[in-house]
Amino acid sequence: MKITTADQMLHELTTATMNRRRMLINAGIASAALAAPITFGKVSAQMDATPDDVPFESPVDVLNYALTLEHLEAAFYRDGLASIGREGITTWGYQDTVFDNLVAIGEHEAEHVAVLTQVITDLGGMPVEEAMYDFGYEDAVGFLQVAQALEDTGVAAYQGAAQYLIDSDELLTAALTIHGVEARHAAYIALLNGAVPFPAAVNPTLTPAEVLEIATPFIVS
Amino acid sequence: MKNYHDAFARTLDTVRTQSAAISDRSLPMYQVAFETDIDVLNYALTLEHLEAAFYEASGEYDLGTDGFGNNINEWMGVVGQHEADHVTTLTQVITDLGGMPVERANYDFGVTDAASFLATAMVLENVGVAAYDGAGQFIQNTDLLTAAGSIVAVEARHAAYLNLLNLESPFPAAFETPMTPDEVLGAAGGFITD
Repeated sequence: MKITTADQMLHELTTATMNRRRMLINAGIASAALAAPITFGKVSAQMDATPDDVPFESPVDVLNYALTLEHLEAAFYRDGLASIGREGITTWGYQDTVFDNLVAIGEHEAEHVAVLTQVITDLGGMPVEEAMYDFGYEDAVGFLQVAQALEDTGVAAYQGAAQYLIDSDELLTAALTIHGVEARHAAYIALLNGAVPFPAAVNPTLTPAEVLEIATPFIVS
Repeated sequence: MKNYHDAFARTLDTVRTQSAAISDRSLPMYQVAFETDIDVLNYALTLEHLEAAFYEASGEYDLGTDGFGNNINEWMGVVGQHEADHVTTLTQVITDLGGMPVERANYDFGVTDAASFLATAMVLENVGVAAYDGAGQFIQNTDLLTAAGSIVAVEARHAAYLNLLNLESPFPAAFETPMTPDEVLGAAGGFITD
């Protein structure tokens, strides 16, 4: 069967937003748009399925989810670049500017941590703290492979979580401005790894459950 | 028949009553902007048409090889295909939602050589990211928001690569800078001839 781009996008939507029906029902949305066949038709088959729990109870929960990933990334670059060092990167044949760019990425992640922590606090929430991590790499090559996994996961995670901020325009926009930067990081790391920086017209989306499955093994405690 | 001027004019009409930014981070916030999700999608489609048309000329210039040994012409072909895919998808979704998708216009990008091609591509991609980021807040349907997110991430990936090709930082700041439709028109409207 020929799969069109629209179909692929819809497949992304229907598989990646498993909680949509529950969300919509909870929100009391029953507009005509819901009946639009191409957007929603494929989910109707799931009507009888038990809906997943809504993964987030509040915007603060969504932000803490993002903060969990940003802590992971910030610690990864901070500790990894400190131990590998500039020589560790250039030894593998990378240009000198590569190390500087990786440092810049790490600084971005640290800024994301600082801003998310501040916003959660301002909203009266309790920001999650940095944990202990084990990323399991042994050299610069392994480091960059883990970096790609983290960045790609980060992009997909923000995409999957954005819908839970739809009622909070400011927080949604803030999340989107982080999401774009993670995508830029992901493209650059892919280039370093000899991969295509933009592998598809539509970026994959991951649910919180899928993200936790990927990220949890890195978290020691 | 709708054209880009109509799309932009309507977009501008709807944001004319925009309030001052209410965020302490100066994120663009409006009291009134796009009235429907279809309006937001047509705004996105306007930009995707622009991008898709632009890359059709990528074969006219010898763009050389990037610092990683990749054939830039080949990769601009990939980027152009992505933009064409975005046009197809957005057109389909707008139609399925009962809307009237904006059509392709005529453009003049003022490109004369490989360097100006890559410089213009960089502008288009970065404006594209900023436009989606500024418009995301107006999307009311969660599925469409996720779909828009899955497109803007790809635009950001394109932007990072084109920044590198133009010897700019692929990720100039820790946060993207969203643009209002007015700002987007200022940055990209000049490419539209009719």
